[in-house]
Amino acid sequence: MVEINARRKDNVKVTVNLTVNGEHHQAEVEPQTTLLEFLRESLHLTGTKEGCGTGDCGTCTVLVEGHPVNSCLMLVADAKGCEVTTIEGLVRDGRLHPLQQSFIMHGAVQCGFCSPAMILSAKALLDRNPGAGEDHIKQALSGVLCRCGSYKKIIQSVLAVSGGEKGNV
Amino acid sequence: MPFQEARREMSEMKTQYVGARISRVDAQDKVTGNAVYGFDVDLPGMLYGATLRSPVPHARIVEIDVSKAIKAPGVRAVVTGKDFPFTYGGAVKDQPFLAIDRVRYVGEAVAAVAAETELAAYEALQKIRVRYEELPALFDPREAVKEGALLIHPALAQYRRAGHDIVPGTNICTIRTYRLGDVEAGFAEADEIFEDEFSAHAVSHTTLELHAAVAQYFPMKGNYTLWSSTDRPYLMVRELADALNLSPSHIRHIVPYVGGSFGGKNTLIAEAVAVALARFTEGKPVKVVFSRQEELTATQTRVAAFMKLKTGVKKDGTFTARKAEIIWDSGAYVSNASGVAIRGSYTVFGPYRIPNIELISRLVYTNKEISGSYRGFGTTQVTWACESQMDIIARKLGIDPLEIRMKNGYVEGDRYINGQVLHSVGLKETLEKASREIGWGETSTQPSTIKRRGKGLAVTLKGTPTPTSSTCFIKVNQDTDVTVICTVPETGGGQRTIISQVAAEAIGVPLASVSVTNPDTLITPYNDAVAGSRSTYHMGNCVLMAAQDVRRKILELAGEVLQIEPSRLTLSEGKIIEQGGGERLTLKALLSQRFGPTGMEILGEAHFNPSHSALLAANPGLKGLDSRMSSIFWMFATHAAEVEVDTETGVVKVLRVVAAHDVGRAINPVTCEQQIEGSVLMGLSNTLFEEFKMEKGRILNDSLSDYKVLTTLDMPEMTPLIVESTHAEGPFGAKGVGEPAAAATAPAIANAIFDAVGIRIKDLPITPEKVLAALKAKEGKGC
Repeated sequence: MVEINARRKDNVKVTVNLTVNGEHHQAEVEPQTTLLEFLRESLHLTGTKEGCGTGDCGTCTVLVEGHPVNSCLMLVADAKGCEVTTIEGLVRDGRLHPLQQSFIMHGAVQCGFCSPAMILSAKALLDRNPGAGEDHIKQALSGVLCRCGSYKKIIQSVLAVSGGEKGNV
Repeated sequence: MPFQEARREMSEMKTQYVGARISRVDAQDKVTGNAVYGFDVDLPGMLYGATLRSPVPHARIVEIDVSKAIKAPGVRAVVTGKDFPFTYGGAVKDQPFLAIDRVRYVGEAVAAVAAETELAAYEALQKIRVRYEELPALFDPREAVKEGALLIHPALAQYRRAGHDIVPGTNICTIRTYRLGDVEAGFAEADEIFEDEFSAHAVSHTTLELHAAVAQYFPMKGNYTLWSSTDRPYLMVRELADALNLSPSHIRHIVPYVGGSFGGKNTLIAEAVAVALARFTEGKPVKVVFSRQEELTATQTRVAAFMKLKTGVKKDGTFTARKAEIIWDSGAYVSNASGVAIRGSYTVFGPYRIPNIELISRLVYTNKEISGSYRGFGTTQVTWACESQMDIIARKLGIDPLEIRMKNGYVEGDRYINGQVLHSVGLKETLEKASREIGWGETSTQPSTIKRRGKGLAVTLKGTPTPTSSTCFIKVNQDTDVTVICTVPETGGGQRTIISQVAAEAIGVPLASVSVTNPDTLITPYNDAVAGSRSTYHMGNCVLMAAQDVRRKILELAGEVLQIEPSRLTLSEGKIIEQGGGERLTLKALLSQRFGPTGMEILGEAHFNPSHSALLAANPGLKGLDSRMSSIFWMFATHAAEVEVDTETGVVKVLRVVAAHDVGRAINPVTCEQQIEGSVLMGLSNTLFEEFKMEKGRILNDSLSDYKVLTTLDMPEMTPLIVESTHAEGPFGAKGVGEPAAAATAPAIANAIFDAVGIRIKDLPITPEKVLAALKAKEGKGC
């Protein structure tokens, strides 16, 4: 006999209420469910990727209340009442976000696995510092790894949107 | 259409898309999160696999008890090597899917579980009991190569495919020697002889997308379907079919977007575990995703190399001879390290005219993680030795490092070490451009007596595996949508964009009307692999010919409909144009006039393999030739770096890297720059930051917080420069760029460090500890 689901014996569930990309969600989840698992497995928002599961690579970055967060480290229960933005939330009325447009224009995408996290990290920066210069951009994106080495073109893409100062200050 | 004819047509074309800075066709999918990767594949009823791994480097498996695991909640299958006793290996068939009676490295797969959830699978792993009888282990290939060393694969000679490349009764799993001329006579002629030892370490591919595979087995048919992130689906199907004694037609491989490969996803890795499990899950698909810890410790690394170079030169800097002895660290199994130890080794002689050469290359088993292909396929490691020694030679002889390379470097018409006449050689132009841009000859401004700056440069050459095959189909439907049907995984290199550009250009349709299929071996035709920088050249030529086939068919139709001789018609941006008569009708109008309202497709097809090219001819008079020596094209590059060395801390900061690459012709300068910039960063990261810390065969830094990879904050100023030497048989003159790009970065940095502070680091990586130790040693000597 095979049990249908592998669950912890206590089978405790918690209720979470949160808003993802403007849409309200209420769900019963196991307390250890991460925000990443909830987004990918329950909401099927697979634009958020996972690169390590331990908060080192930044690939799973989403915005919680506008702040970049490693969604692999955050429990969805801790996002209760929060507004979460994933890469799927950036397209409005069928139009790309200026950062998405800029990434395409400036050749900032290679394998693309880090692109959602890079774009969201840049959005978080520009939302609070719209004219961010190169130094701030480098800092803000330093938590997301890109093994294809697109950093230069990624930074150019963000600078093109911010109009900020080039070069190291 | 015959190749020569296709080439003639192409050379007469004015290009609109080829050579233009086109935005990548896959970028929108990727910036919106719509791109589906192997990691994202999700099927109804899918189970999740997890792998139990060996905690010891070398042991006999006495017993595996899975009785408790099989009863654990949610578990559907537990598999060990006894249940699935197959082996694979492209060069030597030495590698089990799951360890059969012996484990040979820490991290080797010993058993696997498939369960309803990932958590259940991992929990069940903890219920498996394995008894090991530990054996002595070997971690250093320089020890393992010795006569009388314990044997890691006692049955090596009995393995399938263990041909003449192995040495029976030893740990040497590939040996290759080659001689040209007479090295001893060459050394006798030399004014100076240089003997140096270098090493290049193992590094991880660290693709951001983890290894992921979904396998489904259809028990009634005995068929497999496999979805995975790989850069060579057809070769993987062949490998799997051979291992399992199936016909390749029983295996279907579908490849979604690949989140980076760099050579790391071209053999059975997560696939091996998924395939083994799927055989036991009664038709349910099984997904296996490796953790980052598994990616770092139990996939494949770059092949570490220990290199001895003895080089004879005249006072004026011309070479008389070089002898190279290389020991490559295969790790526990051969995988594709054999090719690295053969093809990679040949380039240790650099892009230089050396009349007398001798090579001894040996690939040796050790009880460590398997090594294999890694961007550059061995060229990166040997270029480290070749170009570091080149600098040593130049400094000793008092010749400018730029000048000595200009003097000895290959030019058009020179002969490669096997006698192949070299064509499309832009080496000197890369040297000129890179040195000009870095300000070669102008001394660096010194910020202080503690922080010292210097400049260095290095060159490289890299071939492509030859001959290899590509096939493609192109269909144009009645709505004038063009689909290129081919097996080219988009691994991040921009392959899909290049294919789209070539197709749009050669057919004469708008780029936006072209799409490229995902690889699916049931549908998409044979292509060797995305490897060795071969895609632009091989699939580019193939797509070009198929596109010209389609174009000819369209113009013949137009001729019939318009009652005009087809030779007076052209197709441009989807419009039929008559010579001197202007636009006659659109392609869409043509197709609906000709076929009416019912559907109709125009098909083109082509096959490309350069095996008959006259460019490949070696010198038949030479002994010991290897068919893998000739390459249908050769890529050349120069990297120049400026560094700042902190003499108090030993920290090396790379300020600038200029990288000039001869790509033949840039089909898309943006994707070329991406490859060049990305490789410089990968090369820099490998050189300064990345290193496995080992203890008794165990990798201690098995996370990305401990295995340091370069971030935005570590980035130097980078200038990619494109040199176009135009290859006579390349599509629009193109060659390739992805693989050689990282090779010259490490020696350029090391040579710049020497320029800055006069120390020579010969063993990678270049760490602050090594720099400080070398500075101390230098002071001690009073230099």
